[in-house]
Amino acid sequence: MKLNRRHFLGAGAATGLVGLSGLPLRAQENVLNVTAYGGVWEQAIRDCFVAPFEAKTGATGTVSLGGPAQWLAQVEANPENPPLDVLIMTPDLAVIAAEGDLMDDFTVENLPNLADIPQEFTDACLGKGTYFDYGVGGITYNKQYVSEPPKGFAEFVEGVSSGKYIASVPSISYGPTPVFFLWALNNALGGTVDNVDPFFEAMAKMKDNLVFWAGPNDFFNHLASGEADLGIYFDGRTWNHVDEGVDWIDFINPEEGGAMTTVAVQKPKNASPLAWDYINEMLDPVNQAKFADILNYGVTNKKVQYSEKLAARVPSMSDALLPPYAEIARVRNEWVDRWNREIGM
Amino acid sequence: MRLTDILLWLFTAAFFVFMLLPILVVVVISFTSAGYAAFPIPGWSLKWFARIFEYQPFIDSLWVSLELAVVATVASCVLGIPAALYLARSRSGWATAITTFLLSPLSMPMIVIGFASLFFLSALGFGVSFLALAIVHTVICLPYVIRTVTAVYRGISPAYEEAAMILGASRLTTFREVTLPLIRPGIAAGCLFSFLTSFDNLPVSYFFGSAQTNTLPVVMLAYMEHQFDPSIAALSTLQLALAVVALVVADRLYGIEKMTVAT
Repeated sequence: MKLNRRHFLGAGAATGLVGLSGLPLRAQENVLNVTAYGGVWEQAIRDCFVAPFEAKTGATGTVSLGGPAQWLAQVEANPENPPLDVLIMTPDLAVIAAEGDLMDDFTVENLPNLADIPQEFTDACLGKGTYFDYGVGGITYNKQYVSEPPKGFAEFVEGVSSGKYIASVPSISYGPTPVFFLWALNNALGGTVDNVDPFFEAMAKMKDNLVFWAGPNDFFNHLASGEADLGIYFDGRTWNHVDEGVDWIDFINPEEGGAMTTVAVQKPKNASPLAWDYINEMLDPVNQAKFADILNYGVTNKKVQYSEKLAARVPSMSDALLPPYAEIARVRNEWVDRWNREIGM
Repeated sequence: MRLTDILLWLFTAAFFVFMLLPILVVVVISFTSAGYAAFPIPGWSLKWFARIFEYQPFIDSLWVSLELAVVATVASCVLGIPAALYLARSRSGWATAITTFLLSPLSMPMIVIGFASLFFLSALGFGVSFLALAIVHTVICLPYVIRTVTAVYRGISPAYEEAAMILGASRLTTFREVTLPLIRPGIAAGCLFSFLTSFDNLPVSYFFGSAQTNTLPVVMLAYMEHQFDPSIAALSTLQLALAVVALVVADRLYGIEKMTVAT
C-alpha cells in the first residue's frame, strides 16, 4: 500500500488518540482504585490501608485525590463501569448515594470487621456503607486571649452575645456547616430538626461579635491574627495545629456534646470485588489505630486501642452526638434558605 | 504637579498596593520556617519548597497539567486557526452564529461545563480519562485562539494575500508565506492564554480527576483542605514565577504590547 500524506496523518491521529485515551475507565483486574483526601490523609490512607491490602492480596491500590462530590458524580456518570472502586464520603452524600441505589450493601459476610463497627453507623448509611472515622465539632480557642473558655454551647452563646468573646464560626458556604454547627448548636439550645428557631435566635444575639470562616484555614487565620478569640472548629484539626507547633490553641468538646462529623466508606455497584478486601482493612482495629494516630481523629472499630496521646484527645463515641443525617437532608435546603435570608454569610 | 495628577498618582499607587500586597504576602509565607501559614513569619526557610518535591502527587499532577496544557493548546490551534481564518472574512449570517457558538464557553460557568461534560463524555464512552480531559480543555481553550486570531486577521488587508496569489503563489504558499507570519502575534497570544487557562483550570479538571489524571490545581485543593502547612504558598510562588517567565519570554519573542493589542 502506498503511504500518502493522508494515510500518514490518519495513522498519526489514531495513534495519538489511543495514546491519549491510555487510561481505561476501569484499570486492570488486579488494580483497585481507591479515594483519599489530600495531604496527610492521602499518606495515611496509603500507609494504613493500601499497604496491608496490597500485602494480603498481591493487588495494587491506586489512590485518587479529590472530594466526595467529584467522586460521586464520576460514579453517577459511569454506573455500569465505575472508575472508582472505593469511595470516601461525607455522611449526607453517603445517604444520597445509598438512596440512588448506586452502592452495594455492607454485610459481615463480605466484611468480617464490620461486626465490630457500631450498627448505627451502618444504619446511618442505609446499610450501603459505614463510618470508619469521626471528628467532633466543638470550641477551639486561643489560650492567649481566653483564660476561661466556655464549657459548652450555652456558655458560648452567652459569652459571644455579651461581647466577652469575638467568635469565628463557619459560613453556610462550608458544606458541613448545617450539621456540625447549625444542628449541634440548635440541639444544645433545645431545638429539633423541625424547629431551628433557637439557633437563629442565638445567631441574632451574637451577630455583632461574629466573624465567619469559609474554609478551615480561614478559621486558623482568624485566631492567629487575633481577629477572633475562639470559634467553632474540629478536634482533629485543632490537634494537628498543636502537633505542628502551635502552642496557643486548645479544644473543648462542649458539655452538651459536639456533633460527630463522620467519614463514610462505600463500594459502588459493579466495582471490583477486591474492594471488599480493601474496606475490610479500613475497618481493621490495628489499621484504624494507626490511622487515628496520624490524623488525630477518632475511628469506629470498638476494639481499637488508641495510643496514650490520642486517648487523651479523642472524645469517646458516647461523648459526641450522632446527627440524624437522613432527617437533616430532608430539611437542609430550608435551613440554608433561612440562613441566607437572616444571616447572609 | 497639579492636584489631579497627585490624586491620580496616589490612586494608581493604592491600586497596585491593593492588587500586589496579597500576592507578596503569599510569597513571603512560602519562605516561612513555621509549620503553619501565618504572617508575619517567625523565620526564613526553604523547606516548603523542598516539600513540594517530596510530595509525589504534586509532581505527578504537575506533569499531567503540563501535558494537558500543551495538548489542549495544540488542539485549540489546529481547530481554532482555520475556523478563525474562515469566520473572520465570511459575510454569512451563519458565520456570526458559529463564532458566537465557538466563543460561548467563555460565558458559561466552568463548573457547569465540567459537570455536563463528565456525563456527556461518559455516555460516549470516554469516561474519566486523559482524552476526556483533553477534549474538555480544548473546548474551553478554543475561544482564546479564535478570538485572538480573528482579531488580528480582521486587521490585515486582504490585499496582501490577493497580491501573493496574483503573483502566482498557491493557496498553501500564500498561507505559509503571507498569512501565517501576519497572524503570528494572534496565534502567540491565543497559545499563551490557552496554556495558562488550561494550566490553572480547576472546575473542569475537578470532575475528571483520577489517580492518573489529577491536575495540579485539583491536587492543591485536595491538599489545602486537609493540610495546613505553607507548601501551597510555596507552590503558588513557583507557579507565579513560571507565569512571569512565560510572559517575559512571550514579550521578548513577540512583544506583550502587540499581543494585547491583537485581542
